[in-house]
Amino acid sequence: MSFAVPLAWALLAIAIPIIALYVLKVRLRRVKVSTNLFWKQVYEEKPPRAWWQNLRHLLSLLAQLLILLMLVSAVADPFFHWQSKQARRIVVVLDTSSSMKATDEYPTRFESARAAVHQLFDGLRFRDEVAIVAAGSRPEVVLGMASHTPTLRRALDSVQASDNNGCLSDAILLGQRLIGQHPAGEILVFSDGCQTDIESSSQLSEASKTETTPTDETQSVRIQFFNFATAAGNVGITQFQTRRSLVDPIGYQILLSVQNHSNIAVQGRVELTLSGSPIDVLPLKLQPDELWIRTLEKTSLAGGPLEAKLVELTRLQPETTSGSSATTQPAAGNASGINALTTDDQAWAMVPPRQVQNVLTVTRGNLFLQKVFEANPLVNLTVTDVLPTAWPTDAIIVLHRQMPANVPAGRVLVIDPETDTNLWTIGDLIQNPIITEQDTQSPLMTHIRMDNVLIPDARRLTFPNSVQSLASTLDGDSILTIVPRTEGNCLVLGVNLERSDLAFRTAFPILVTNALAWFAGQSGEVERSWNAGQIASLSPDNFPTEATAFTLLSPNNRLSAVVGSQVGPLDEVGMWRIVTVDAEAQNKNTNQVDQSRPVIQWLPVNLSDSAESDLRPRRLDGDSAGGDSATKDMSASGRSSSWFSGWLSRPLWFYLAMMATFFVAAEWVLYQRRWIS
Amino acid sequence: MLFPADFLTRLEYLSIMSKRVFRGSLLAQRRTMQMGSGIEFSDHREYTPGDDLRYLDWNIYARHGDLLLKRFQEEQDLRVYLMLDCSRSMAFGQPAKFDLARQLTAALAYIALADLDRIAVVAYADGVIREFPVTRGKARILPLMRFLEDLSTTGQDTHLARAVQGVLHRGARTGLAVVISDLFDEHGFEGGLDQLRYRRFDAHVLQLHDPQEADPGLLGDIELEDIETESVQMVTVTEKNMRAYRQLFQQHQHAVRDYCASYNLGITQSPSTVAFDDLVINMMRASSAGSPSRT
Repeated sequence: MSFAVPLAWALLAIAIPIIALYVLKVRLRRVKVSTNLFWKQVYEEKPPRAWWQNLRHLLSLLAQLLILLMLVSAVADPFFHWQSKQARRIVVVLDTSSSMKATDEYPTRFESARAAVHQLFDGLRFRDEVAIVAAGSRPEVVLGMASHTPTLRRALDSVQASDNNGCLSDAILLGQRLIGQHPAGEILVFSDGCQTDIESSSQLSEASKTETTPTDETQSVRIQFFNFATAAGNVGITQFQTRRSLVDPIGYQILLSVQNHSNIAVQGRVELTLSGSPIDVLPLKLQPDELWIRTLEKTSLAGGPLEAKLVELTRLQPETTSGSSATTQPAAGNASGINALTTDDQAWAMVPPRQVQNVLTVTRGNLFLQKVFEANPLVNLTVTDVLPTAWPTDAIIVLHRQMPANVPAGRVLVIDPETDTNLWTIGDLIQNPIITEQDTQSPLMTHIRMDNVLIPDARRLTFPNSVQSLASTLDGDSILTIVPRTEGNCLVLGVNLERSDLAFRTAFPILVTNALAWFAGQSGEVERSWNAGQIASLSPDNFPTEATAFTLLSPNNRLSAVVGSQVGPLDEVGMWRIVTVDAEAQNKNTNQVDQSRPVIQWLPVNLSDSAESDLRPRRLDGDSAGGDSATKDMSASGRSSSWFSGWLSRPLWFYLAMMATFFVAAEWVLYQRRWIS
Repeated sequence: MLFPADFLTRLEYLSIMSKRVFRGSLLAQRRTMQMGSGIEFSDHREYTPGDDLRYLDWNIYARHGDLLLKRFQEEQDLRVYLMLDCSRSMAFGQPAKFDLARQLTAALAYIALADLDRIAVVAYADGVIREFPVTRGKARILPLMRFLEDLSTTGQDTHLARAVQGVLHRGARTGLAVVISDLFDEHGFEGGLDQLRYRRFDAHVLQLHDPQEADPGLLGDIELEDIETESVQMVTVTEKNMRAYRQLFQQHQHAVRDYCASYNLGITQSPSTVAFDDLVINMMRASSAGSPSRT
């Protein structure tokens, strides 16, 4: 046996005053009384200060000396050599995925798991080292190897369940790296087993053997799973996306899927609101494990945040007489165990706004051209047949055939030019051109195929400067051309609308719509909804140039700076916002942001993970092929394990302190016997 | 100071209170139990030959033919014996019981002297240790006070019966005997009082105790030193022991009270912290009401 603090034995000198005080104490206090008459009667039956009473004093002294001895020994911190050899290195992998927020365990699965880890800390042996790894969408080492229990507890209390999906395998691999080549390493996984990345413990074992350095030491790491889950049901929104309609300039489509992850048929409603205003309510009737998918067409010019919410989820019971109709039970969703997770009951998406554009069309008359603009509700059309002397700066200029000598500044769409301008020179006619080359990557050509369009003739244009051809013939003559200019983009279509059937094709209005969107700087029809835990990509080019700093606001108003074109991980479900930050606030480095500042970009974040929504745990049965993994069911009544019984696994000083406490109690009893009957 | 400057004034006040308010119910104007040649009729008895024919009740003889002799209560001046316990146990307390006992002795003596009664003070411990002889007249109060001041506690074996025996051997005449003591007598207080009763003394017990004696408030390992016998007892006092002590003390007080009640003796029990004049007034009030006095 050795002592960590041998100097503590010097504290035994305290025994000297204890013995001295004892010796002084046995010289009793003398009290004068008027008569011993009554005292003699009091002690008539029991002789005063019998021999064992003297012994009691001796026992008192002995108890006091033993208390001192025990305490000094505890401070000296004795330990056996075998203890240091048997010290373990444990990695606690705590699942922080959103399914851990399920309330089938009281209060939540995560809190139950956290309590179990606290219990584990109670049972740590002397010189055990513990690391804590939070298994969210990406593993995070909360605390490296430590053996100071209060530090471990503080670190554990700092971990919170997130809205992310979980990735246990990465966390376990990280844990294996933390353990390294320690001979008594163990990984304890506290999870609900709702991850798809680990289907069985044997698979995990195989994965760990292949992912990590295949040494004998790493293979000996033992993995234990502690499951905190019941077969709770849950109904969740597993997909929620929007996109602008391809044919309707103000229309948009909603892709919504809801899945019933339970063994019970349920019914309820999905409420859809756009910018806080209800736009639709959809009834739901879901059989067990049914996936309900709908695509909805809606229109909105202004767009805005779109929210879907599951409400009034109740158990659905088929009537005994007819199988077609259904009756409901009044029980609420959570109470009846059909919706134990609320994170996926709501989902958010963003409908991109549309802006009305002024269009000045200079044409001698073309019904198709005029109608294609008039049919577009986003266009405020002005038609003229003469070239204006002054060109508007806030409008898209459409020049049909008539051309000024100098193409005006701004955004210009040129169709079938008849004369030379400063940007091109008119050549001869191209007879029956066939479009063989299309730039499919260009947003102007989205959903357009021009290879089958019948074009009798087209203008051959010669551009003195470099241009970008979007559609060209076999001979290389450009039919649809982007002429880049510093004063504004110019798009040139060299097709005669009257002679070709382009105007009859759906490609033409799509081409015009694409051109209007391209001129307006709209990048596309889709602003995607992100999954929780993802890192979002931004388009800083679309950010206002007058602002220098931006910040990301979480749904719970947590701030994080925006640096570069990526933000995240977005670990909360809800609508994240990117807003500008004042230079003053930036200098002050405050965590307060004016909530009324205009939002530059919305980032809708949803759980959208069927694996997380399905709360029924996958069985990580103890299929321990290598004998190095096992599963313990920690739900409900299964919380008994040697891990959680701390006794007989403490350091020696603890037992010495306990013995000292015992002797204190004994001395207290002796004291009481002396003084109080 | 045992007898402060205003002590005599307070004694005079008590004397007046005794005469006017309580009409001498404590000491003065008490009739003796002797039958004799007084003028106050007491009762009749059968005539026996040799009786003085002057006391024959001729009226009854004339009416009924019975020879009955009239008896009269004899009037004689009262002798008051104040028996003061001077044992060492009386020195206990703060203030000492002995001081209050001497003040009470002086007060009772003054009241008796003022009523022209004869008083004697007997200081006793193991036996009679000093005696202030029978005397009368208020003027004798000052020598008595000097006598009392000179007294000190002594003895190692308080014995009331032996003291009473000593008084009786000195030929004391029947009268009123007031025992002022704590009655901590290992031989028992009953023996001395019994002798007084047998000799037809009117006995009155004035028992004093210190509050510390009723509840010593002791706990733990201590050595108990009896200040009278100087014997030392090493004990471990527990709460249980303390409860037993308090119970025994109260039993002792009850025993004294019950004894006096059963033999129609006057009894006054008081802690030594009470002022002597208050205590005397309480005694007078209780005597006039015919009940034992407890303070």
